[in-house]
Amino acid sequence: MVGKEARAVMESLQEVLKDYALSTYNMKPSRVVIEVKPENVREVFTKLVSVYGAEGLYLATIVGTDFPDKNLIRVDYFVNVFSVNTYVVLRTYIPRDDPRIPSLLDIVPGALAGELETYDLLGVVFEGNPYLRRSFFVPNDISEKGIYPLRKDSGV
Amino acid sequence: MFNMVEATQVIKIPLTLEIPVGPQHPALHEPLLLKLYADGEEIVKVDVITGYNHRGIEKLAEKNSFFRDIFIVGRVCGICNTVHANCYVRAVEQILDVTPPQRAKYLRVLAMELERIHSHLLILAVTAEIVGYDTLFMYMMKDREYVMKAKEILTGARVMADYMMVGGVRRDLDSVKVERILEILNKVEERVKHYLKVFQEDVTLNKRLVGVGVIKPSDVVSHSLVGPVARASGIKTDMRAQDRYDAYDEIPFNVVTDKGMDNYARAMVRFGELFESINMCRYILTHLPQGEAVPDERRLPRRFPAGESYATVEAPRGELTYYVSSSGADKPYRVKIRTPSLNNIVNSSFAYLNHYIADVPIIFASFDPCISCMERATVIDLKSRSVREVTLKDLSRWGLK
Repeated sequence: MVGKEARAVMESLQEVLKDYALSTYNMKPSRVVIEVKPENVREVFTKLVSVYGAEGLYLATIVGTDFPDKNLIRVDYFVNVFSVNTYVVLRTYIPRDDPRIPSLLDIVPGALAGELETYDLLGVVFEGNPYLRRSFFVPNDISEKGIYPLRKDSGV
Repeated sequence: MFNMVEATQVIKIPLTLEIPVGPQHPALHEPLLLKLYADGEEIVKVDVITGYNHRGIEKLAEKNSFFRDIFIVGRVCGICNTVHANCYVRAVEQILDVTPPQRAKYLRVLAMELERIHSHLLILAVTAEIVGYDTLFMYMMKDREYVMKAKEILTGARVMADYMMVGGVRRDLDSVKVERILEILNKVEERVKHYLKVFQEDVTLNKRLVGVGVIKPSDVVSHSLVGPVARASGIKTDMRAQDRYDAYDEIPFNVVTDKGMDNYARAMVRFGELFESINMCRYILTHLPQGEAVPDERRLPRRFPAGESYATVEAPRGELTYYVSSSGADKPYRVKIRTPSLNNIVNSSFAYLNHYIADVPIIFASFDPCISCMERATVIDLKSRSVREVTLKDLSRWGLK
């Protein structure tokens, strides 16, 4: 898909999410990034599912990134809207000293792997996910000390 | 004469068999624990327990330079090392704004498709082995070895290729090598046709595969399952067709889907992809563009601009994604790898439910069952026909009264 068609899809996508978007920009190669408030994430997903259908998109991955100098943790949701051949990135920032964000598990069961991983490696608490546990990936000797390895100051 | 005591109560205690499969198990290829809870022969619950082999590759990638990381990510997975390296290299190329020459793009696709052929042959062989056909497994592994040879001719290594580099590939092909790979492909195609016939016609294989492990399309999408698993449930998702990366925009191929939704459909999708991949390899070898494929390593950029990119690749098991973020330093700020197996294994515990223990294909060799009672027992009062539940702890106190 090239040129006009791709642009039209992206514009319609931005139109769908315009009530929630704080800002919109592009990530290489041609993924549209929409920044949203963390408390709106569930509504945004409900909206996406209602527009593109439950069989039109899936949550590909959740990426958490630590920014100790800004005292923030960034949580990105990469959503593959494969019914219209496009990728959308929902970007949220949460405070680093109290990293909490609502869980998507009941809306998107596919969020399980990403949420468990992001909690174990970065310490982001997905509120409402009953399966969160340490040592999902991280060895016991590290998780017992309460270290989240992917934090920049973890010393791992 | 005995005094017959009239029964007033029936106590039913549900017994659940807890079967740990893994982390070391003959049928399991990766250190993973599947905790199966079985009611009789039927699976009622599955816990997926991970964490046995976490190597911290993402952290390691943050601590090494962009160029060293190409070799680190290639070691994430032995079977699909070129797709990992390709995905990472393309993410870095996007940050650098480097475009590889057309010949290199074709050669990359050739390496990745050869990898898909041997990966699919491996998993089909393992399917045969788990059903009990060890001889078929051996034959298929022998024919897979020809593909490994073809990969060696192309990349210089049977398994760990390290073939991708920023701006191109590490080795070029000459006409003699092209002929040899074409010969191997012809030989392998004949064999694959034979194995397809075996899978389609053998009664035992059909009995074990057809109708087992059915996953509905809506479950596939909501649980983020990817790759042949999704395509076997009729979901047409393939990153080669969606992203058209490297030379996939010029090489003709079909996305193979099946509506069967079961184990058999997944095997058939893999067979279909085998033929597609063999045809793609042939097309590449006969339509290879002229020009340079190997860039001069000394002229590669040394400075990395700040930026981020998200590359995807269709690995043999499904969509593989790399998110690479650069802060302008010589090391990446963040590398996030999402392998297809993470979604397909952690999110798919629902797929085992209501199947027989023997249908969980990895439970084939010996297992070490332990019987544990669930926390609750059901008490039926025969006089009033009332049913109530008590905990086993309370039940044990009844005996003391």
